[in-house]
Amino acid sequence: MRNRVRITIPLLAAGLLAAACTSGGQTPAGQASPGGSAPAANQANPNSLPRNETLYTSGTQWGPPANFNPVREWDYATGTEGLVYESLFHFDPNTSKLVPWLAESGAWSDDKTYEIKLRQGVTWSDGKPFTAKDVVFTLELGKMETVPYHNIWEWIEKAEAVDDQTVKVTFSKSNYQEWDFQLYGRAIVPQHVWEGRSEQEVLDGKNENPIGTGAYKYMSHDQDRVVWQRRDDWWGKTVLKMEPKPKYIVDIVNSSNEVAMGLLLQKGMDLSNNFLPGAANLVKGNFGISTYYPEAPYMLSANTAFLVLNTTKKPMDDPAFRKALANSIDTKKIVEGVYGNLVKPASPTGLLPQWEQFVDQSVVSQNGFSFDTAKAKKLLSDAGYRDRDGDGFVENKDGSKISLNLIVPSGWTDWMESIRVIAASAKESGINVTTDFPDFNALVDKRSKGDFDMLINNERQLSNTPWTYYDYMFQLPVQKTQNTVNFGRYENKKVWELVQQLDQVKSDDTEGMKKVISEIQKIHLEEMPIIPLWYNGLWSQVSGAAWKNWPSSAEGAPKTAPTMWRNWLELGGFETLTQLQPAAS
Amino acid sequence: MTALQEVPAQDAAAPAGVRREALYFALRNGKLLTGFGIVLALLLLGLLGPLFLSGTGSEYGTQPMQPPSAEHWFGTTTFGQDVFTQFVYGLRTTFVVGALGGGIAAVIAMLVGFVAGYRGGLVDEILNMFTNIVLVIPTLAVLLIINAYLGVRSVGAQALFIGLTSWPWAARAIRAQTFSLRTRDFVDLARLSGANTWKVITREIAPNMSSYLFMTFILLFGGSVLIASSLDFIGLGPTEGTSLGLMLQNANQWSAMQLGMWWWFIPPGAGITAIVGSLYVANVGLDEVFNPKLRET
Amino acid sequence: MRRYFGRKLLVYGLTFFVAVTVNWMIPRFMPGDPVSSMVARTGASNPAAAETMRVYYTNLFGFDQPLWKQYVNFWAALFQGDFGISIWVFPTPVSEVILGAVPYTLGLMIPSVLLSWVVGNWFGAYAARRKVLDNTLLPVGYVLTAMPYMWLAVLLAWGLGVVAGWFPVAGGYSFSMQPSWSWDFILDLLHHWVLPFSSLFLVALGGWAIGMRNMIIYELESDYSNYLAALGAPQRLIRRYAFRNAVLPQITGLALQLGVLVAGALVTEIVFSYPGLGSLILKAIQNQDFFLLQGAFLFIVLGVLIANFIIDIVYVVVDPRTRAGMAGAAA
Repeated sequence: MRNRVRITIPLLAAGLLAAACTSGGQTPAGQASPGGSAPAANQANPNSLPRNETLYTSGTQWGPPANFNPVREWDYATGTEGLVYESLFHFDPNTSKLVPWLAESGAWSDDKTYEIKLRQGVTWSDGKPFTAKDVVFTLELGKMETVPYHNIWEWIEKAEAVDDQTVKVTFSKSNYQEWDFQLYGRAIVPQHVWEGRSEQEVLDGKNENPIGTGAYKYMSHDQDRVVWQRRDDWWGKTVLKMEPKPKYIVDIVNSSNEVAMGLLLQKGMDLSNNFLPGAANLVKGNFGISTYYPEAPYMLSANTAFLVLNTTKKPMDDPAFRKALANSIDTKKIVEGVYGNLVKPASPTGLLPQWEQFVDQSVVSQNGFSFDTAKAKKLLSDAGYRDRDGDGFVENKDGSKISLNLIVPSGWTDWMESIRVIAASAKESGINVTTDFPDFNALVDKRSKGDFDMLINNERQLSNTPWTYYDYMFQLPVQKTQNTVNFGRYENKKVWELVQQLDQVKSDDTEGMKKVISEIQKIHLEEMPIIPLWYNGLWSQVSGAAWKNWPSSAEGAPKTAPTMWRNWLELGGFETLTQLQPAAS
Repeated sequence: MTALQEVPAQDAAAPAGVRREALYFALRNGKLLTGFGIVLALLLLGLLGPLFLSGTGSEYGTQPMQPPSAEHWFGTTTFGQDVFTQFVYGLRTTFVVGALGGGIAAVIAMLVGFVAGYRGGLVDEILNMFTNIVLVIPTLAVLLIINAYLGVRSVGAQALFIGLTSWPWAARAIRAQTFSLRTRDFVDLARLSGANTWKVITREIAPNMSSYLFMTFILLFGGSVLIASSLDFIGLGPTEGTSLGLMLQNANQWSAMQLGMWWWFIPPGAGITAIVGSLYVANVGLDEVFNPKLRET
Repeated sequence: MRRYFGRKLLVYGLTFFVAVTVNWMIPRFMPGDPVSSMVARTGASNPAAAETMRVYYTNLFGFDQPLWKQYVNFWAALFQGDFGISIWVFPTPVSEVILGAVPYTLGLMIPSVLLSWVVGNWFGAYAARRKVLDNTLLPVGYVLTAMPYMWLAVLLAWGLGVVAGWFPVAGGYSFSMQPSWSWDFILDLLHHWVLPFSSLFLVALGGWAIGMRNMIIYELESDYSNYLAALGAPQRLIRRYAFRNAVLPQITGLALQLGVLVAGALVTEIVFSYPGLGSLILKAIQNQDFFLLQGAFLFIVLGVLIANFIIDIVYVVVDPRTRAGMAGAAA
């Protein structure tokens, strides 16, 4: 017995290992079998959705679908806006144009007046007609202080329904850029249902059984999913000659990226808008999974990851130091090493590729930065930051030590790896950067109070105008708590005036916009209060198992955004649904 | 996880002869030798391995996602990190957590168990209640304080937390043992000769159940390793350095298995299983050594 | 009998009190301010609106009241079954969120704990002192019990889920199903239940089998067994006596292991994103949802206390000595 035990245990362990190894293999090609859990199994069951008519999506919802309230733009169930509630316009990022949606047209009749013509024959899902009163009602909801778009009433004077089909909006200050953003971003709610709701109900109401104008209606939900069913009497079918192909859309709540990957490999999911590490391998391997581009960067760009510097702290209050820091960061290593080329390095201006025309190349070549340790060292010593005590790191001008803490939320694995790279390359240049991973909420807390050195943030998405980016970078005044903008508490009245000026340039006046933006860019690059690092992708992995004709860079394929992310259905996400085809056909 | 059974205390025979006899049987006990052999081998690997390795396993390499080879014994991660190096450093952390966590738990369990078992009465009553309370309180809540409130996420803090929450069953077991020893003649004798509680416990009771205590510590050690790996896995692990649990978490987060990188996910789990399993096997072996009745006939 | 249970209940009552107090205290000492993070998440572009919202939420959650009052309110609300409103799933009441998750956790825990206990004990008792079985089952048992739950869970999910395609890897039931009392749905539920159940069952199984095996050997070597054997009693009879005595510490062991088993269920649920309490607690931690965390912990404490009490009763029923002792005490 003694001898046997000694042998058996290692043998057993080895056996387990061997079993795992052999079944793992070098290349995990084509391992998913369509049987098993694949929902196709029981089509006869009335409680089961037919696989060939159902689209499974994921990547937007990180908590249970708690409400269907389009006012709660940050946590409504995926699709509440876009599938159920619609906006007056959509925005096409490829052409940079507003696309009429609920509105037939809209135009400035003079510098202070915008007139919207609504479409005929649009109905709410309860059968009532959609009229100008609904639009006015929705805008006026914003008069409640806690409604997130309350601020439009700082520059809108009044909104009135001229007749059932016409809305006239009068402005006290014409913020053309921001208004365009409202036109496609604001979900219109039905007056006859929402009328009489208290401020609390509007802000906190669950809004069960939402009544919208959109192509889908609520079917069911559970902790881990929400199910939408197509409305066959949707107005767009006749008016827009469009029809979203999936009869049912099931949006699955994310628990984690690895679970999402498992579902995708099991063919139980069609569209994953998760960040999936190693997506490149998925595309290249024989998994039946594709992305927008067949090679790097695989994804469209959706937003910019910025290194936010707390400009109220020493030595980050010094533009020279900030510029040196910008030059010290090895972004290429992040792009290649951490992301495996799933992302692209950002332009020094931070403007997304879709806004390339607004980048003033002469300003960039004169004031831009790139990874250059020698230059970073030179900038530091020129500005008086030298290593006086010989520990390899520079000190402040007064001789005190510099130690900067860079934070990202715990669990955000790609960012955690990225800031390790940043810290390492900054140390090369002599800047002592340490990393830390607080809980997300603790980080939000520090961020809003300005109690941090450096952090990474990417909360602003692609939109109709770079103004949203500059609003994010430079908004003034700095409050006690900064919740969504200017986390670095950078105060520069001149640039903020320019940003406001940009807002008041008409959105079709590209040259006018370029002129103002060029000035803003010059200040941004000279002052460097916030350092653009890389463009995060519009994460999107699609499976061809049930649906085909996904958007891609291939010829003849749709070019719309393949995504269900919040506020992206108006940016082409919905149009993607209308172009899908069942894989069997 | 196996808890130590509440068995009747063994006879306290003449110590010197027993020790020699124990050693004799220990060297001939297959379970004990196998168990301690594996643990020792892994411990040595953890202790000495880093001396022969360059880097700490967190550096990015130029060859990502490589299967095991002569150059990278356990292959590389998505970022080209060497899995073997991580494994070796992870072993270190895992042993530290096990020893510290198990040690702290053992000390608390002994204090509570001895005092409760020896004094009995009201003291026993109160300590017993205390034990029961700690037993049912969800340990995760306490971890949150340490993790979030103190803002410390070091290996030491993790071990401390595990030690502070995993002692109750051991305390119960030790209490039961003490209870049965308390009425023995030699304890009575010591008490009659005027020795105080502390003295009786340290001089008479503890030495007479030293083998039992050692086995308790082994089980607490193994338990700590497992708890630590769970904590690491759900993201409450140390933020600096690496451990086998963190390796598991990382491999899982980067979908190692799904992407075919089994060499990243299997070793850390196998390492934990090997350490804990060997300890348990060794424990049974020890039991056989100290308890003549259990020996193979 | 009454005194025995009276004392037990007192202990459990006190435990509950302390647990509730600790549960209330812990989240309040956490750094970070849930209200400010909520407001930040709203993305309110207007700072003035953000401030209004902050005041509003602070009032709603009662953070503006003195601590002692929050504590009293906590107890008062507790007795009304009101655990507050979840921050994470705002504005759903915590009790509703938890009640939605509890069936899944119970459905996972009860069968895996009971079955692994029964099967493990049976195996262990059978294998003890039977050389061939002992030498094969024992190592398997050790490997199983030494495995980290999530490691086995991921291996199972990958091997039987992704590679073989036999079982789904995530969720409580198919994403194509609507809950109903149909066979299809129940089968679907079971289909999703198999893998998480198996990983819990297997790890626990090893522990019980080894425990029982060792206990039986203790008993077989004890004086009464030797005495019986000397009297010429058949081996089967001796084994039956040994089993009866050995099972008692195993019952106590079950009570002791409950906490560990709950923790195991938690990580297993996370791996399979099974919609039970474990996944819920993780989300509550990540989102600093005080109320949900408290509610979930309270449920676990209550569950563990009730389970302990049931084990107490079972112990009394099984162990004749306790029964006799209590009869004597009562007399």
